[in-house]
Amino acid sequence: MTRIVLKGLWARKRRLAGSLAAVFLGVSFLAGALVLGDTLNSSIGRFFGQAYAGTDASVRGSTNVGDSPMGERGTIDAGIADRVRRVPGVAVAEPVIDGAGQLLGRDGAAIAVLGPRTAGNWLTDARLNPYHLVEGRAPRADDEVVVNRAVANQGRLRLGDRTAVLTPRRVPVRVVGIAKFGDQDGFGGSSFTAFTVDGARRYVTASPNRISSVSVRAASGVSQAALVGRLRQVVPAGTEVITGTALGEEGMTAVTKGFLQMFRAFLLVFAGVALLVGTFSIYNTFTITVAQRSRESALLRAVGASRRQVLTSVMAEAGAIGLVASVAGVAGGLGFATALEAVFSAGGASLPVGGLVLTVTTVAVAVVVGVLVTLLACLLPAVRASRTPPVAALRETAAERPGASRGRALAGGTLTAGGVILAVVSAAAGNAMVLAGLGAVACLIGMVVLGPVAARPAGMLLGAPLRRVTGVLARRNTTRNPRRVAGAATALMIGIGVVTLFTVLAASSRASIQDTVSRSFGGDLAISTGSSVGGGFEPRLAEDVARLPQIEAAAGMGTGGVRIAGTAVRVRYADPAALTQVLDLGSAARLRPGQLAVTRATAHSHGWRTGTPLPVVFADGTRRTLTVGGTFEAGGPAGDYLLPRTEWTAHDPQPQDTTVLIKLRPGVSTAEGGSAVTRAAAPYAAPAVQSRRDYIDAQASGVNGLLTLVYVMLALAIVIALLGIANTLSLSVHERTRELGLLRAVGATRGQIRSIIRWESLMVALFGTAGGVGLGLLPGWALARAATGGTVAVPVTQLVVIVAIGALAGVLAALRPAHRAGRLEILRAAAAQ
Amino acid sequence: MMGERRAAARAVGATKVYGSGAAEVRAIDDVSVEFASGRFTAIMGPSGAGKSTLMHCVAGLDTLSSGQVFIGEIELGTLSDRRLTVLRRERVGFVFQSFNLLPSLSAAENVALPMTLAGTRPDPDWIEHVIDTVGLGDRRGHRPAELSGGQQQRVAVARALAARPDIVFADEPTGNLDSRTGAQILAFLRTAVSELDQTIVMVTHDPVAAGYADTAIFLADGGLSDRVEAPTARTVLDHMSALDAGADLPGRAR
Repeated sequence: MTRIVLKGLWARKRRLAGSLAAVFLGVSFLAGALVLGDTLNSSIGRFFGQAYAGTDASVRGSTNVGDSPMGERGTIDAGIADRVRRVPGVAVAEPVIDGAGQLLGRDGAAIAVLGPRTAGNWLTDARLNPYHLVEGRAPRADDEVVVNRAVANQGRLRLGDRTAVLTPRRVPVRVVGIAKFGDQDGFGGSSFTAFTVDGARRYVTASPNRISSVSVRAASGVSQAALVGRLRQVVPAGTEVITGTALGEEGMTAVTKGFLQMFRAFLLVFAGVALLVGTFSIYNTFTITVAQRSRESALLRAVGASRRQVLTSVMAEAGAIGLVASVAGVAGGLGFATALEAVFSAGGASLPVGGLVLTVTTVAVAVVVGVLVTLLACLLPAVRASRTPPVAALRETAAERPGASRGRALAGGTLTAGGVILAVVSAAAGNAMVLAGLGAVACLIGMVVLGPVAARPAGMLLGAPLRRVTGVLARRNTTRNPRRVAGAATALMIGIGVVTLFTVLAASSRASIQDTVSRSFGGDLAISTGSSVGGGFEPRLAEDVARLPQIEAAAGMGTGGVRIAGTAVRVRYADPAALTQVLDLGSAARLRPGQLAVTRATAHSHGWRTGTPLPVVFADGTRRTLTVGGTFEAGGPAGDYLLPRTEWTAHDPQPQDTTVLIKLRPGVSTAEGGSAVTRAAAPYAAPAVQSRRDYIDAQASGVNGLLTLVYVMLALAIVIALLGIANTLSLSVHERTRELGLLRAVGATRGQIRSIIRWESLMVALFGTAGGVGLGLLPGWALARAATGGTVAVPVTQLVVIVAIGALAGVLAALRPAHRAGRLEILRAAAAQ
Repeated sequence: MMGERRAAARAVGATKVYGSGAAEVRAIDDVSVEFASGRFTAIMGPSGAGKSTLMHCVAGLDTLSSGQVFIGEIELGTLSDRRLTVLRRERVGFVFQSFNLLPSLSAAENVALPMTLAGTRPDPDWIEHVIDTVGLGDRRGHRPAELSGGQQQRVAVARALAARPDIVFADEPTGNLDSRTGAQILAFLRTAVSELDQTIVMVTHDPVAAGYADTAIFLADGGLSDRVEAPTARTVLDHMSALDAGADLPGRAR
């Protein structure tokens, strides 16, 4: 039997190419995602190992207001360093200061690196310092700094250059050294500006006796654990000691739990979509090949093969294809990982990627998933093949049953209707993501089941405008075998469906953000650092702007981390009296010291009301009880929590604003006001002044990144679906050899034959695309309602583009099959078999 | 008798070679024959004699290795694929042994197919008339799958006649049918020649079928071997026996 399987495979190698490609692409994605994840994991591990290799212990503030151990902490007393130094077993102890610092480039503008913009002190002990000099020397005077290679390159800074750092106060500095972090030009995408300890105390912690932590190196023979044990005896309350190893692990966990986890999840979702779309392609190909071979199967049965043997032979074939394609897919995954890495590097986010890491697990998972998916996709066709009665060998022609059963219509209809009802109910209930998600899944399954039922009417509808004979023939062919049309279109439908869903979701959340911002923001201009970490302006900027004759009001707003009721949250802080003039703060307009404001949604979900006292822990360890002083609408520039500036400043060594909202006096034009504000902002490294429209758009810009990824997904899904359609068409052309030959004999030109195939492909593609848009639209609407609490935007332009791309895919898919159909010899028709 | 009528199609020194070297097969070898206009000619011969090859080449479905074929005065060898297609569409009709109809089209649409492909509006009255002539008036909306084998073949004949071609080629048109249904089809072809002045060339190995023709020509081993005017099943059988006897003679290559 094995030999029969292998011979059969070889004889049909051309037809199998489509199945192979579908499995290959899906597995490539899966393997690529796993490889990239492992590679990043290992290199990030190496990265942190390197960074803390010389550090045996660290003393730091015990209050953490971030959601990872690496999160924000307050400063500690500088005297601790001296106390630590006297502990036996300590070889070196150095104070470490790290804070925010925006370096300005050669052109005087802020250097916009992707990561946090940090500033601190240059550690003099080379083994404690994760950075090492590659040019110049360490800083000696307070205004001398070492900067990392990447930021120096980006800001075109060279040794000896004079520039400035905003901490947020403008500090004039001279670059005396350029450093690398291990073998990288920087730590991730961050920038680092290192002063002397005194310089850092003066400018970063803004206090001569505050530091961030103490890094300790043990004397030889003293273990990290022993060192930490001794240090714990001497450090004061409010501080903690951890080993260097633990510090490295914290750093690694922060990256793997945060960025890497998201990154992996995202890539795996891609792989999942690719595999799902691929499954339908494989299923369809096998359904057709099995149907075409039904005489062969029947012959096997007639000469004595059991049902089980026929079933086994088809499944063995599927297994062989799955295996070959999966193994190739692992190799493809390595290529894919390399390509992705190149894409990210080109984008400026240099990933610390060493060699690609290919683990046994990755290979096993990729191959097992690839083979299983193939087997699963082939199960139904295989069972059908095994049920071929032996008498079928004697029949003239045999193809799959074309019709769609009543049961299918009923089941598909019920599922789809159920999904729709779930989605509508969830939308009405509001905030019911789970319900909406279930509805989406039900709709998906329902529409896949309904496909063959819908294919005939859809084909008639789509083909109705076709008047030319080729179009009419194509329409007839399309409606003749709805099951097959649906099979070919399903892959495209799912891909387009997922993309449509995300497009609607993204557009809706963008619209929702823009709605809220434009409703609450009453100003005309804004200055914003965007989403960068560590960049900001001195609070004086808002005051300067407010004093301009053209300006009616200006309010600065900063951001930071605290723990409220035990949970680490980001808060905004501002002067409520100034802010309320440019921003609608609802009932929080008259926020007083000792109070904080929260969004209505936050208050609702926690059961807080105006007057509820909340325990707040600041990074410096201070505990305060603030009462809820009012609530405002969620999604606006003020975030979820708003504190009066007076409550914040005392606990932050570097209070800085990230946003200044500005309202013009009546009669002052935007251009006039804009240039006045720009002049006023010039001494603050000239941050860009945004119009109201630009500012509102920028608030939703995070969504654009998501959309870009969605379009990458679209491209992927379309490529796989295109392969599926092309494969189905080729098989169908092969099957209709005699029919096409007859057409040629009675006078169809080659061009007419090609045209028929093209029209068929176009109709299949449009059917799939239309189904996909329908599939994505409704659940997208429900999910968007649930996610945004009401705002749903249907991006018509994008949807039209998606449909156009789907149609184009149809035409492209037909290229080869149409060409081959046109070349068919006429005589095949005449030569009756 | 031949000279009185213009030839609807003719072959001059037609040779078709498949393969090369030791595997070379001469399907037809230097055949020259004329098919007179308005007459019903049967090409007879045992399997492998080259009758289908001759018909395919004369009909422009296949190309010759050497020699010439003409439809009317047009030499097919000089035509591009496109011109050849147009010629087939406009001047030639086909009836095959099986798979004669497009399964997705109704009977009437199948009949009108050559004209539809040409982009010309078929004359509905004429189509009606042809369908009625083959006795399928009440079946014109049916799909091929809903018709019996004989009915399907009648649709095929109607299609071949509907475009009023110069010549109709029929390749074993009754091969898949029982004798009674076959007889009906042959009667229709006969009627088309006698009453509509149609030219028909039919390949068959059935002496009874050949009995409907005006002329029967006999092929053996790729060459023209005999010719019978106004054949009957009886005379055709006699000629075939004679040929078989000749074929069995030693020294004659098969």
